[in-house]
Amino acid sequence: MADLPPYPASDDDTEMETGRESPTSTPRWVKVLGLIAIILVLLFITLHLTFGGLKDHRPQSNASERGRQQP
Amino acid sequence: MTMSPRLRKFVLTVHITSTVGWLGAVAGFFALAIAALFSHDVQLVRGTYLAMEVTGWYVLVPLCLASIVTGLVMSLGTSWGLFRHYWVLVKFLITIASALILFMYTRTLSYLGDIAADMTLSIDELRNPSPLLHSGLALLALLVTTTLSVYKPHGMTRYGWRKQHEPRGVSQP
Repeated sequence: MADLPPYPASDDDTEMETGRESPTSTPRWVKVLGLIAIILVLLFITLHLTFGGLKDHRPQSNASERGRQQP
Repeated sequence: MTMSPRLRKFVLTVHITSTVGWLGAVAGFFALAIAALFSHDVQLVRGTYLAMEVTGWYVLVPLCLASIVTGLVMSLGTSWGLFRHYWVLVKFLITIASALILFMYTRTLSYLGDIAADMTLSIDELRNPSPLLHSGLALLALLVTTTLSVYKPHGMTRYGWRKQHEPRGVSQP
């Protein structure tokens, strides 16, 4: 029977990578994630405005005549 | 400040449980939001909004707070730090942004619970795309933070680089 593969040490989540980057370089994945985040925030705001405004989540009809106040 | 291995494992367990639990709760919330938006059964739609209110206050908010607190303890109590590695910093920023949106959204959840109890409203008046939009983005954000936690992509911030290369003993009086 083949040996089981060695499991990583239980405290592997504290292991650090060192010396792989210069102090001035921002990793590419950070830039890509930032760009995606900006696009999603813009999409979020657009959809929010499209579906009744940033503050008003009420049903559009009869809301005013019922005198409801959105919290 | 460095935690003992026993304490670190305990906090890590609570952190993983709360963070993954938060992700699972948001997934359940997302399913409710889909049902609320597309179901033709008015009782089901009312029920989903009531369930969303309860889930928001008693599941999402506590798990979110537990995730933030344990995440801060884990980062500040280990050699990872909070501002030394990009993956920790990005995860922290996503979590804080998600938490702020969730805290603001609790008011809307209460409102949705109130209108769900109003039997004079029709199903079209009850329908609201807002929970689907918010929970969909929250699901995406929490999947990103989970992925970052597992893969721990490389990249050290300027602060982390300075800290790593400063002479030992300077930061520990």
